[in-house]
Amino acid sequence: MSDIMVKAEHISKSFGANEVLKDISFTLEKGNVLSIIGPSGSGKSTLLRIITQLEKADGGSLYIDGKPLFQDKEGKAVYASTKEMHSIILKTGLVFQSFNLFPHFTVMRNITEAQWAVLSRSREEAEDRAIQVLKEMNLLDKADSYPSELSGGQKQRVSIARALVMDPKILFFDEPTSALDPELTRQVLSVIKDLSERDMTMVVVTHEMNFARNISDWAIFMENGYIVEEGAPDALFVDPREERTKAFISSFKE
Amino acid sequence: MKLIGQLLSGSVISLEVFFLTLIMSLPLGFLVALGRMSKVKVVRVLVDTYIQIMRGTPLLLQLLFFYFAPFYIFNASLPRFASAILAFVLNYAAYFGEIYRSGLQALDVGQKEAAKVLGFSKSYTFFHIVLPQVVKNVLPSVGNEVVTLVKDTALASTIGVVELFRLAQTASSREFSTMPIFIAGVFYFIMNYLVSRVFDILESKMQY
Repeated sequence: MSDIMVKAEHISKSFGANEVLKDISFTLEKGNVLSIIGPSGSGKSTLLRIITQLEKADGGSLYIDGKPLFQDKEGKAVYASTKEMHSIILKTGLVFQSFNLFPHFTVMRNITEAQWAVLSRSREEAEDRAIQVLKEMNLLDKADSYPSELSGGQKQRVSIARALVMDPKILFFDEPTSALDPELTRQVLSVIKDLSERDMTMVVVTHEMNFARNISDWAIFMENGYIVEEGAPDALFVDPREERTKAFISSFKE
Repeated sequence: MKLIGQLLSGSVISLEVFFLTLIMSLPLGFLVALGRMSKVKVVRVLVDTYIQIMRGTPLLLQLLFFYFAPFYIFNASLPRFASAILAFVLNYAAYFGEIYRSGLQALDVGQKEAAKVLGFSKSYTFFHIVLPQVVKNVLPSVGNEVVTLVKDTALASTIGVVELFRLAQTASSREFSTMPIFIAGVFYFIMNYLVSRVFDILESKMQY
C-alpha cells in the first residue's frame, strides 16, 4: 500500500462567473515533490489555496493523508466537520509569495507562537525546535530581529521555518521566489532543495523552470483551470507532448 | 493668584469631561466599527446613519440637543454635566469607530491567512495577530482626536457646565480683561502638550 498524501478528484472552483478550476485531479505520494507550472491566471494558486483551506472548492473531492477535506456529493463539494478540517490544516503548511510574517513579532516569536498556542508545546520545546530550524537555515543570529530588519530572502526563509516547525506532512509553496531578486532566489531555492533531499513531501508552484525540473518527481502544467499535461519532469520540461506546454516552456528559454 | 486657583478648579471639571469621554468612547468606538462592518444590513445602515449624523452636524448643536431634547420630549432633563458627557461620548465614538474600521480594513489579508494556515483559532488571531497591529496603525489618528477632544471640552460651557473655559469667560467679564481667557488657553496648551507626549511614548513603544 503506497502512502498517498494528496488525492484530488475533479476539483472545480468559480469566482462568480469566472471558472478558475475545472476538473482538477492528481495524486501526490509521500516523500515526493510535485511542481505546478503555468501562466498567471491558470488557477495554480487557487488550487493551493483550496488545499490549504484558504478558499472553498465548489465541487470534487480532496483527501489529505487519507482524510477527506471535502467530498463530492451530487456535484457539490461537501466539507468535513470544523474539527476535522482543523486537524487536516495541521497536516499542511503553506509558504506565501509575500511571506506574511507577523511584523510585530520577533523572528523567534514568529516561529514559536503557533507551536505553543496551537500544538500546546512547552515554551522550551518550541524554542528548541525553532533554534534547530533557524540553525539549519543559517538564521540563528536573526532570532531577535523583527521581520522589517530582514532581507527578502531571509524573510522567506523565516516563513519556511515558521511552517516547518509545525511538522506538517506536506509543505506547499505558492511562488516562493516571485518577490525576490535572483541572488535571494538562490538562497530560498537551496533551502527547498535541502528539504526535498530529506524526503519532505512538497507541492511547489513556481516560475523557476530549471529549479522545478531539478527537484520535482512529478510536474503538472496548468492553463485556464485545466491540467493540460503532466508527467515526469524530464519529459514535461524537455519534450512536452502538448503544443501549449511547449509554447509556455519555450517562453522561458531565451 | 486667586484667578489661577479658580481656573485650576475649572480645569478639574474639564479633565473630568475629557477622561469620562475617553473611557467610554474608546471602547464604544469599537462596537461602532463592528456595527459598520456587520453582515446584517439593518445594523450596518443604522450604524452608518448614526455616524453620518454625528460627523455631519456641529458638536455644539449635539450638546444643545442632548440637553434640551429630553426636556421637550419627556418633560424632564438630564443634569448639564451628564448631557455633556452623553453628547461627547456619542460624538467621539463615531469618529473612533471610523478610525478603527479603516485600521482593521487596512490590515493585509495575508496576516489572517498566515494565521489560519498555522492553525490559530479566530479569537487567538484577532487578539494576538490583528489587534496589536491595528492599534499601532490607528494610534496617530486616535492621538489627533484626543488632542481635539481636549479643546472641544470647552464647548460644554454652552450648556452651562462650569469648566475651565466658562470660568475664564466669567472672570474676563468680571475683571474687564481678556487675560483669564489667555491663561485658560495656556492651560489647554499644557494639557495637549502632555497628551501629545503620551502618544509619542506609546508610538515609540510600539515600534517594530
